[in-house]
Amino acid sequence: MLNYVGRRLLYSIPVLLIASFLLFAFVRSTFDPTARLRASRDKTVVARERHRIGLDKPLVSQYGTWLGKAVRGDLGQSTRSGENVSAMLTRAMGTTLQLIVWGAVLSALVAVGIGVYSAVKQYSAGDYVFTGLSYIGVAMPPFWFGLIAIELFAVKSHLFYSLGLHSGDSRGLGLDYARHLVLPVATLCVQIVASWSRFERASMLDVLGADYVRTARAKGVPQRTVVMKHALRNALIPLVTVMSLDIGALFGGLIITEQIFSIGGMGRLFFNALLSGDVYVLEAWMVVVAACIIGFNLLADVLYGVLDPRIRLA
Amino acid sequence: MTSIPVTQQPEPADEEDTGALLDVRNLSVLFPTDDGDVHAVDDVSFTLDHDETLGIVGESGSGKSVTSMAILGLLPKSAKVTGSVRFRGRELIGLGEREVRRLRGESLAMVFQDALASLNPVFTIGAQIAEAISVHHDVASHELRDRVMQLLDLVGIPNPSERADQYPHEFSGGMRQRAMIAMSIANEPDVLIADEPTTALDVTIQAQVLEVLERIQDRTSSSILLITHDLGVVAGTADRVLVMYAGRQVELGSVDDVFYDPRHPYTRGLLASLPRIDGTRDARLHRIVGQPPSLIFLPTGCAFHPRCPHARIPGPCNDQRPELKALTALHRSACHYAEELPAMSTADLKATVGETSAEGPQP
Amino acid sequence: MTTEHDIYDESPAPLGVPTLPERISADAELPAAATGGTRDPVPRSQWQLFRRRFFRHRLAVAGGIILILLIVLCFGAKYFAFYDKNHQDLLLGPVSPSKAHWFGTDQLGRDTLTEMLYAGQISLKIGLAVALLSTLVGTITGAVAGYYGGWLEQLLMRLTDLFLVVPAIAILAIALRKFGQSDNIIILVLAGLGWMYVARVVRGQVLAVKEKEFVEAADAAGATSARIIARHILPNCIGPILVNATLGIAAAIVTESTLSFLGFGVQPPATSWGNMLSAAEGNYNQNTHLLYFPGLAILLTVLCVNFMGDGLRDAFDPQSKH
Repeated sequence: MLNYVGRRLLYSIPVLLIASFLLFAFVRSTFDPTARLRASRDKTVVARERHRIGLDKPLVSQYGTWLGKAVRGDLGQSTRSGENVSAMLTRAMGTTLQLIVWGAVLSALVAVGIGVYSAVKQYSAGDYVFTGLSYIGVAMPPFWFGLIAIELFAVKSHLFYSLGLHSGDSRGLGLDYARHLVLPVATLCVQIVASWSRFERASMLDVLGADYVRTARAKGVPQRTVVMKHALRNALIPLVTVMSLDIGALFGGLIITEQIFSIGGMGRLFFNALLSGDVYVLEAWMVVVAACIIGFNLLADVLYGVLDPRIRLA
Repeated sequence: MTSIPVTQQPEPADEEDTGALLDVRNLSVLFPTDDGDVHAVDDVSFTLDHDETLGIVGESGSGKSVTSMAILGLLPKSAKVTGSVRFRGRELIGLGEREVRRLRGESLAMVFQDALASLNPVFTIGAQIAEAISVHHDVASHELRDRVMQLLDLVGIPNPSERADQYPHEFSGGMRQRAMIAMSIANEPDVLIADEPTTALDVTIQAQVLEVLERIQDRTSSSILLITHDLGVVAGTADRVLVMYAGRQVELGSVDDVFYDPRHPYTRGLLASLPRIDGTRDARLHRIVGQPPSLIFLPTGCAFHPRCPHARIPGPCNDQRPELKALTALHRSACHYAEELPAMSTADLKATVGETSAEGPQP
Repeated sequence: MTTEHDIYDESPAPLGVPTLPERISADAELPAAATGGTRDPVPRSQWQLFRRRFFRHRLAVAGGIILILLIVLCFGAKYFAFYDKNHQDLLLGPVSPSKAHWFGTDQLGRDTLTEMLYAGQISLKIGLAVALLSTLVGTITGAVAGYYGGWLEQLLMRLTDLFLVVPAIAILAIALRKFGQSDNIIILVLAGLGWMYVARVVRGQVLAVKEKEFVEAADAAGATSARIIARHILPNCIGPILVNATLGIAAAIVTESTLSFLGFGVQPPATSWGNMLSAAEGNYNQNTHLLYFPGLAILLTVLCVNFMGDGLRDAFDPQSKH
């Protein structure tokens, strides 16, 4: 097991290094940190500034310099506000994690519930309803779902809020927080709930037809235990992998969700940095998000190994 | 206790309620599909007595596995099961899931063919055997563990305490099948249904597993329903044999009856397709000509008539469905001409089944 | 991966899924016998079998018909639309759906239905072109990696891994800022981040097919690698490639609409369904038709494409019901 995790971890490190270099190079070659100085009369200002921050060196050495500082927590200053980039990222990440954690936990519970129900009651009315909904959920652009949800639940009826995570000076968990959280979390997760529930249904159907489920029934195990223990435990293995991959990908979905709901997390940070060409924020953002995605990919592999004894001992 | 009224009267020659341990009468199983109804099991009746081993033989599609699943109520709900299955006089068909569940694994247990697929990959062997006990009995955990060790030991698995904590994929094929048997006999069931218990195994391992089954039977005096396509397995293990073809029973009798005086052309075909060690050098393997029929569109009359060298067509063979006639007290055959079939000799066999030099024996 | 057999169920399957109780016995004795090997005297070609299975998938057929209808309507907007492309009626302003304007009008008094048909040209064009391009790139990458193996395979597949761990929407947004937002650039950029799944699938398929006898035979007969790939290997991967292409269309349409909604994609005055929604955002309470109809168009298109994908998968591989 340790061996297996170690191998996956070792593979992740070069992937992260190469990916982060490519993203860094991509951002640096797109945006110019000295753009603001171009208007300056003194033509040497730009050149001096470029030399000062090392832009005249090859990208690889720029990356090396950046990485060296990054591991010490120094990601530079925002070219827009002059604020410390790592502080900006930390703050944004705090907000974003609330969306991701709630989203992932609730989505998993809902999707597994629907998947198991649909599989056990295959071709029932409920199964048809959930299957139909999941088709729509997968096909719907999430941002449109968000707009409709705001229209119906925040504008027409004032059931939930559509701005930020807290109103006024309220803090912490509570009804206000929940009423702010519902719509963005739903928007962020509508697609993954739909696809996870479909995946779990298929996986569960597969497992329910397996010989070992028949064996369990032949032993006299009650139907409920057959489903919840013998079948579910096996049907969760592939789902957990898919889940961790999708949760990694949620960081992309945040850009839309946070924009629609004016939530100041990673998505908003990226959006504003892109509009203002805030190169240090963008390059740090890219690398952090890529690291998160790689981290969840690694988690997917590890969980697979933990859940499936055939992998664990291999 | 509910019992479904038996629409068809049992055949006159049939024993009255003999108090057989397991009494299957006029069992039929039908699967509706898009293409039509699949008649997987068609009017099958047999009994299983205490401490007896009954072999059910037939090729793939003959309905032998479905029969065993119907007895335990393990068929999908889409299956339409009619007829009667009595266990100790108690009707099982139509019995509620709750009551059947109590009998499964406790009084009627099953050994499945493919032990790798039939054992849950994510639980240890020990846990799976322990579960077979704990779903029926309240046993303290250390007692449960002891019991699991005894069972593993009984089926000849060395190092039980270590092996119990391993997963199915860590076992070899033969060991897995032994574990499977240990699981099925955990509650010393009255009836053990073994569905092709040795098919997936090497020949040497097959013999060991069969020997385990026999030893278990000596110890627990369970009755065994041995389902197989392998006549050799039946010959060495069973007391009586039921031969099935296309969901119907074609011959029933003691092992001696069926092996030395088969009274159905299909049984003869099966026997002739066995490789023989006493055969002459030029003896070739024989196979039954043609293909097994579609279970949706069965041939009229006797289902075997399109492949039968003795069929008289037109005549009763393609016209009337043959009854299972009693030839002697124990021996029955569902052939219109059961009594007229010539006595069997090697030479006759060749004539009977038609000689081919085809690939090998038709299972 | 899944075969939909039902343990707990009594009703027959919908959508023409055959429900033989396949797992009743591990030796699968029923299907072999039930389908009656000898009963079908006319051998059917792969293509006939495929067609038969596809057309039994009612949703896929319906999806295909609606999709064709949408394409015809959008690209023939000149003939079908009730109003001219840029017909404005400033005095009318935004009105709700009516007899004259089925889907209402926007702030400039433009007919929403007309605008949606023209916007559909761009959305559909981008969706189809991206799917085509990314399928092409993915197929070539996957086929080369799978066929040649060795360091080339390692290189290509690691590259695929890399492309899969980058935050796609963010890259797309930056790339579009960098390269501009013409339709062709949008297509290129979206395809550049859409080929990886096809590549993985094709590689897997090629690895499986490569071991088959007919490929070894062609190799022994001295056929060139390119010929073996094109004539023997790819035709056997056509199913998964097509299924992934439909997924690609769906993903491209949704991604394009998302980027256009955010303002990074199709730029006004050109319209796509995505930037129509962007114009409608904030118009809550009044003129909600501007919010609903373009979104419904995306939803309908993607649904139809997905249904077709399901139909194709079932038709090519009846064993997998995933």
